[in-house]
Amino acid sequence: MTEDKINSSDSEGIFNDFIRERLDDMIENIISEGDMSTLGGRESEIIVETDDIQPPRFTYGDDQEGQGGSGDEGPGKEAGRLSFSVSYDVIMQLIAEKLKLPNLLKEGQGKIKEVSYEFKTYGTAGIILDKKRTFKRALKTSIAMNGYDPANGRYNILLRRKDRRFKLPERVETPRYKAVVFYIGDISYSTYGERLKLEKRVVNFIQRWIDYNYGADKVEHRYFVHDSEAYEVMEDQFFNVSNAGGTRASAVFDLVSQVARNEYEINTTNFFAFYFGDGEVFHDDAEEIMDLIELSMLPFFSRIGVTEVKPSGMSQLVSILEERFEHDSIVRLTQLKDSSKVKKVICDLFR
Amino acid sequence: MRSIATDSELKHLEQRILYYAQDVFHRRLPEMRFFILDPAEFASLLHKRVYPKSPQNLWEGKEMISTRYRVNSGQESSLYYEVVQTGRPSYAYLNETNSAMVQASVMAHVVGHCEFSEINILHDSNDDRTERVMYLVNRVNRSRLGMGEAHYRMYWNAAESLVSLIAPNSQYNLPSSVDTDILYSDPFEKEKEKESSLLSFPYSYTLNQIIQKRDSDLNMVEFENQRKAKNETLSRRGYKLKAPCQDIMGFLRNFAPASTGERNILDYLYTVNSTSDFVIRTQIMNEGWAMYWEHKIMKQLFEERACKGIVDYCKIFAGVCYPRPFYQRNPYHLGYYMWNHVEELYRQGRVSLDFVEETDLQKKVNWDKPSGKDPLQAMEHIIETCTDYEFLRRFLTPELIEELHLNRIPKAHLPHLKLTASDVVKENKHYVWIEPVPVKDQMLNFFTHFHRPRIYLIDVDFLEGGLLLYHRDDGRPLRKKWIRPTLKNINMVWKGPVSLLCEDNLYTLSSGKFNNTTVRCPDFEEVAERMMDGKRPFVI
Repeated sequence: MTEDKINSSDSEGIFNDFIRERLDDMIENIISEGDMSTLGGRESEIIVETDDIQPPRFTYGDDQEGQGGSGDEGPGKEAGRLSFSVSYDVIMQLIAEKLKLPNLLKEGQGKIKEVSYEFKTYGTAGIILDKKRTFKRALKTSIAMNGYDPANGRYNILLRRKDRRFKLPERVETPRYKAVVFYIGDISYSTYGERLKLEKRVVNFIQRWIDYNYGADKVEHRYFVHDSEAYEVMEDQFFNVSNAGGTRASAVFDLVSQVARNEYEINTTNFFAFYFGDGEVFHDDAEEIMDLIELSMLPFFSRIGVTEVKPSGMSQLVSILEERFEHDSIVRLTQLKDSSKVKKVICDLFR
Repeated sequence: MRSIATDSELKHLEQRILYYAQDVFHRRLPEMRFFILDPAEFASLLHKRVYPKSPQNLWEGKEMISTRYRVNSGQESSLYYEVVQTGRPSYAYLNETNSAMVQASVMAHVVGHCEFSEINILHDSNDDRTERVMYLVNRVNRSRLGMGEAHYRMYWNAAESLVSLIAPNSQYNLPSSVDTDILYSDPFEKEKEKESSLLSFPYSYTLNQIIQKRDSDLNMVEFENQRKAKNETLSRRGYKLKAPCQDIMGFLRNFAPASTGERNILDYLYTVNSTSDFVIRTQIMNEGWAMYWEHKIMKQLFEERACKGIVDYCKIFAGVCYPRPFYQRNPYHLGYYMWNHVEELYRQGRVSLDFVEETDLQKKVNWDKPSGKDPLQAMEHIIETCTDYEFLRRFLTPELIEELHLNRIPKAHLPHLKLTASDVVKENKHYVWIEPVPVKDQMLNFFTHFHRPRIYLIDVDFLEGGLLLYHRDDGRPLRKKWIRPTLKNINMVWKGPVSLLCEDNLYTLSSGKFNNTTVRCPDFEEVAERMMDGKRPFVI
């Protein structure tokens, strides 16, 4: 017997690989089919359930029990369920790996730092006396100088100046950054049914992805809509406001750029804007948008996404914008034709 | 993992226990090596089937992670039972979180297991079992590199399906079902074979052949004819089924076409799992014997004050040896009290012809005529000659069933047992009592099926080289959804068609296609008879 430590780490590794494969399947499902809102909040642990696995064997049993199938290969599935918890961050990390998304945090890191002071150390001079530490030193000295000797009835503790110890503040710098995300919707087109579902799915992903990158408390989500005019609305109204007729998308880009410039500190904020519409805009409106993006937004926005949802033959916003921004690193232009393209749109917007 | 020598208190206790076991009680023990493990190691060891190493596999990982989760979430507290791998030497493992008293009781308990393993009728003990498994682990690990990770995992998972088809001690085990001219893969079987063919004269094989008595001594022509006939019955494969074979994994391990790596996996899984057949056939006697000696040795330790905590020990002992109804039999409780009962029977001379033939009931009740034979010797003889089935059949009387509460059933269990009012002979607020005689029959029935489906291999040339398995129907249906994946896994090991006859259905998996045909399923006796006559057991 030469083995010193008994462990099952290799086998646990195989099981973890197996679970990882199940998670990958689940994430693939979330990205292409599922609704991320079912995952729960950022702080929550996500409980993932899957069919339990058992080596299939000849056994007695009732086929009516449970939902487990026989499985066609490898391990058989039993009626039981296998559940494991995964943190929200791990899920988002896996999604990022799956979609090969970049870490957005880099954009704001290091620009401005939040400075605070913590009393982590001590010294011989200062303002706040560390009483416990001072007393310990004084006691040691007193013992060494025979001032404190309970065996012989001496209880004198000398508090000398050089025994004093003070709490010293230490400068702690943490990067300070925040993000603002503008969601812009065109309410002049028929945003219901399949269109609404697709748009919601992408918006939901963007919210969670940016929250994950910056921390939910450091991200502000703002919602704007437009027909012939632009308005800011609440989150719950974003998908519900009705069509007022007419369309002029440049108005909303103008409003967003003004809000960004006037209400936030440009140097310390990461700006994101995502536009969703059918792309059916007049040519001059599209050109005006192009100018607004280039002159008023590009200099300080981290990402501007324009998505045509279920575009028609009349949709031309993306094609016009492509003339100037096709290879731009900040402006991303994409079309969401059906549910199978959700994953591609997410990748196009963030990669 | 550390040796017991690193802990002076436990080392001292070990020495005292061995002193009592060997010098005072004269137990026949192999060399016993004790090791101390931390809880994580202990849990891992259990999932490795009590060997320090195992090849990596999905199932051990799943069990280990589940165990850790249960421990962390408080669903499983401490593990203080004993873990021993018997053999020569035997390896016993102690959980470091246990107190010295518990460790002492575990060591004393292990003494009983080790002796039982040495002297039992199934010859469970053998040389270097643990070392051999470690060697097999190394072989499998080397094979994994050669097989490639994907194929290794697939084959391992397929072979896991065969584990429940191991039956080395069945009436229909490999030697009694298969004629073969090759040696089985089990080195221990080779050992036994070698032992049986030991030269009677130590210096000359030729001389030995002349001196050794043969069946054919009287007529060489007859001997040659028998040999020729036997050889002709063996197919070109080198084996022939002569009876239904219940040790299906044993058959596949020896005769399935397999690469070296695949064979190594089968060897490993068969070797580490085959001992469970011994355990299930002797569990009551084995655990009872271990409790019996644990109790005796612990009493000595408490008397000489080598160990403290007698009250705690009594609590633990009562917790382990508590009565349960017959369908949830507690082997510790049943075995311990039955051995004490048997000892008493022999001490009073009640296992004798005179006692059996005595017709006066009063005399029988007061019978106390020691035969002069040491009860302990008689008990050892029982171990050397019986398994649990015979042990219960001989000694479990209706009175003992009552006394051990085997026929006492909690009322909460009644809805699951389908008992009628006429079955109940007595009841109180919490329990009902049923007739003890059927209880004994039920308990003996367990040893015919062990609550597992009885599957036999009855043909190895069905559908052009395919295996034909037979489910011996006992009124309970197989889980149908698992038939196909199980056949698929057996198909992967056999590399040919595999069929299962079950309840008038013939399930066949061939070339990836699964078929289910309705047929007339012959009785098991009919199948066995046809095979004995050299006929095909089943023809469509």
